[in-house]
Amino acid sequence: MLQFITKRTVTLVAAVVVSSFAVFLIPYFTPGDPVRKIIRSRVAGDAIDDSAVQGLSESLGLHDPLAVQYFRWLADFFSGDMGLSFVSRTPVAEQVLPALSVTLSLVLMSLGLAAALSLPLGILSGLRPGTAADRAITAVTQALIAMPEYWVAPLLVLVFALKLSILPTAGWNDLSSAVLPALTLALRPISFFTSAVRAGIIDAAAADHVPAARARGLRQGQAVLRHVVPNGLVPLSTLFAVWFAGLLGGSVIVEVIFAVPGMGRLMFDAVVNSDIPLAQGGVVVVVALAVGVTTLADFVHQFLSRTVGGTLA
Amino acid sequence: MSPVGTRLVLEGLEVRQASAGTGAPGKRLLSGVSLSVEPGEFLALVGSSGSGKTLTAMSCLRLLPPGLHITGGSITLDGQDLAQAPEHQLNSIRGGRLGMLFQQPKRMFNPNRTIEQHLKEPLRLHAGLRGAKARTKALELLEEVGFADPGKGIRAYPHQLSGGMAQRAMTAVALAGQPGMLLADEPTSALDKVLERQILQLLDRERRERGLGILYITHNIASVAAYADRVLVMNSGSIVEAAPAGELLTRPKTDYTRQLLAAARLAPESRRRPPSRERDILVLDRVGKHFGPRRKLGHAALHDVSLALRRGEILGVLGQSGSGKSTLAKAIVGLETASTGSIARQLDAAAPREATAVQLVFQEPHSAFDPRMTLRTSLQAPLRPHRELSPEERDARIAAAMQEVELDPSLLDKRPGQCSGGQLQRATIARALLLEPQVLICDEATSALDALTQRTILNLLLRLQRERNLSLIVISHDMDVVRYMCDRVAVLLEGQVVEVAETKDFFAAPQHEHSRALVSASIPCRADGQWTVLEAVKT
Repeated sequence: MLQFITKRTVTLVAAVVVSSFAVFLIPYFTPGDPVRKIIRSRVAGDAIDDSAVQGLSESLGLHDPLAVQYFRWLADFFSGDMGLSFVSRTPVAEQVLPALSVTLSLVLMSLGLAAALSLPLGILSGLRPGTAADRAITAVTQALIAMPEYWVAPLLVLVFALKLSILPTAGWNDLSSAVLPALTLALRPISFFTSAVRAGIIDAAAADHVPAARARGLRQGQAVLRHVVPNGLVPLSTLFAVWFAGLLGGSVIVEVIFAVPGMGRLMFDAVVNSDIPLAQGGVVVVVALAVGVTTLADFVHQFLSRTVGGTLA
Repeated sequence: MSPVGTRLVLEGLEVRQASAGTGAPGKRLLSGVSLSVEPGEFLALVGSSGSGKTLTAMSCLRLLPPGLHITGGSITLDGQDLAQAPEHQLNSIRGGRLGMLFQQPKRMFNPNRTIEQHLKEPLRLHAGLRGAKARTKALELLEEVGFADPGKGIRAYPHQLSGGMAQRAMTAVALAGQPGMLLADEPTSALDKVLERQILQLLDRERRERGLGILYITHNIASVAAYADRVLVMNSGSIVEAAPAGELLTRPKTDYTRQLLAAARLAPESRRRPPSRERDILVLDRVGKHFGPRRKLGHAALHDVSLALRRGEILGVLGQSGSGKSTLAKAIVGLETASTGSIARQLDAAAPREATAVQLVFQEPHSAFDPRMTLRTSLQAPLRPHRELSPEERDARIAAAMQEVELDPSLLDKRPGQCSGGQLQRATIARALLLEPQVLICDEATSALDALTQRTILNLLLRLQRERNLSLIVISHDMDVVRYMCDRVAVLLEGQVVEVAETKDFFAAPQHEHSRALVSASIPCRADGQWTVLEAVKT
């Protein structure tokens, strides 16, 4: 177990370092000289003095070897100095962190909603496969996959905001404004979680140890509660983490439609405005978080399912 | 004090499969099964696979698979009719007065729960024990079934236990509810002879000490001879013969019983031929296999194994579970590379391809085939690299191989799920023959089959060996199979060869201590071919 954790932690650090290096290299592969961009972002006017370019390059250490520059950048980054935005001229960290907290709450609400709906639905249809209830649940949840967010979002706005007037159309103020974005974002996870839970429960219920538990005197309900449901839910922990990581980066459409000031919209704006420091900061933070959560889920899965690894303790 | 004197009586039990859709009673699976297990009796129920033995046991617990129903007769436990009892009464009886011991113990445990959690269920439900008291009792039970270190065993997850340990743990779970009657469904069929004897002695002790009645379902006639008071023979869902053990084994009345007994009695003198004087075809020189990181050489599956297989010889490799038998087989075929030492093949010049001249016949026929492929597709696979063959020639070869293993060609279009174990094992052999091997490795090739089928497969292998002058390595934990088949025997213990001898000498006078333990654990059948109930083993 300890070996597994060490291994995964090393992989995690390696993944973050490699991706951060790729992000660090972005300015070298984008058209235009970053130094000129920096100067242009700070002074008005088109004419840029060549000596100013030289001077700034010197003071930024751009003549040092690439490796030195990278580690200086990485050290600054993780001490909280992510540079200045080209557009707003404010520190990147001050924009990324609030946006991150907004996106995190949005994603957690969506996943919470998805879990709350798909656990009972999946268990219900998994325990009685082939019944009318199962077929209805499967049909509806499968249909959700085919509904794109940019189509569902306006539809929800039309019904709940414009016709019924019970929820706001956009923005990010109180809980009521979070309902429609969270619901839109939750639709596909609901679909995937439900079918995963259903499949897991069907597998777990077919295991030979279930009649064996009945033969020990457990009632049908007890056997299901102790030996079917927990075993059927083990695969879900990994799926949950994958979706968490996916939604962190995938909430952009919903954030733009509902004017939610989250990471997705921040990144969208940064890319549109060629705001390289902001994009770099955002991407590294999201990658680190996504990899961290996936690794954590592996630990949880390892703990829940005793047969994945490990021999006699 | 445990409930003493539980009596189980079945009268005219009938089980049918409900026909799909209508729910009307369909195919009859059990008809008119009547039996009684008296308090403290060891009753054996024998018959080939599919004869309805397990179904009978599951009927007693009213835990039939979906779609099967009890449609007639009665099941009486101490005067209470279980066939009519409401569910809540059954729940207090299952695992309580009426316990069940399953085959394949590993699959009968929830892989995500510890042995302690499994043991505590019956203790809570039937003895009302919780917490520390339940734990103490659980430790006691584990010690009773032969766990050397119950404190460690109780914390183990099922996959951490060996097959034998898992079966002991399962026995502890079955005994936890203090049953008066135990349904034991082939509890030892996956175990080697030494472990089998330990489990059966444990059950026998429970029987003698507290009057546990045992319905012992098996296809292992030798264990019946040693332990059972009475024997019932089952065929196609009915009981065809019932008699005290000694009488039934020596004077069977029906043809079916005679067949069953003949199959189980693999008489040793059926193979008496001079030892092979031919050259070696396969030479293993100090072969070792280590798993895990190279630095830690602690776990060696094989250690300095030196063996030679002579041309046209049948060499038996005997060993208990975990002795490295399967690793040896894989190393010889090339599925595992040996960590140390060398394996040299000295094939006949006629060998079409050296890589495929040594073939393996697998243990579990159902997992040796892709369940989604027809047998034809599976059999075509090994011929695919032989581009020189035309499609007609390939079909002809497959047809010839099927004929050689005495299989109906129509089976080629079936999938593994539609075939019996015996048919599939023949198909595995046919698949191995397609590549015209010179050496055939049979890794427990018949241990998953019932006695009747086992015998026909063994005879098939013997005939093929004779006709094609194959060299065979028969890997088994079954002494009878080795004695029936082999010219020479090698004994494997913890990855090392401890003895190699000619079969006759080996069984007459085993040299190594472990060999002696193996030979004495197997219950010998008398040379004149008659069964003996060995009172010495029984007490």
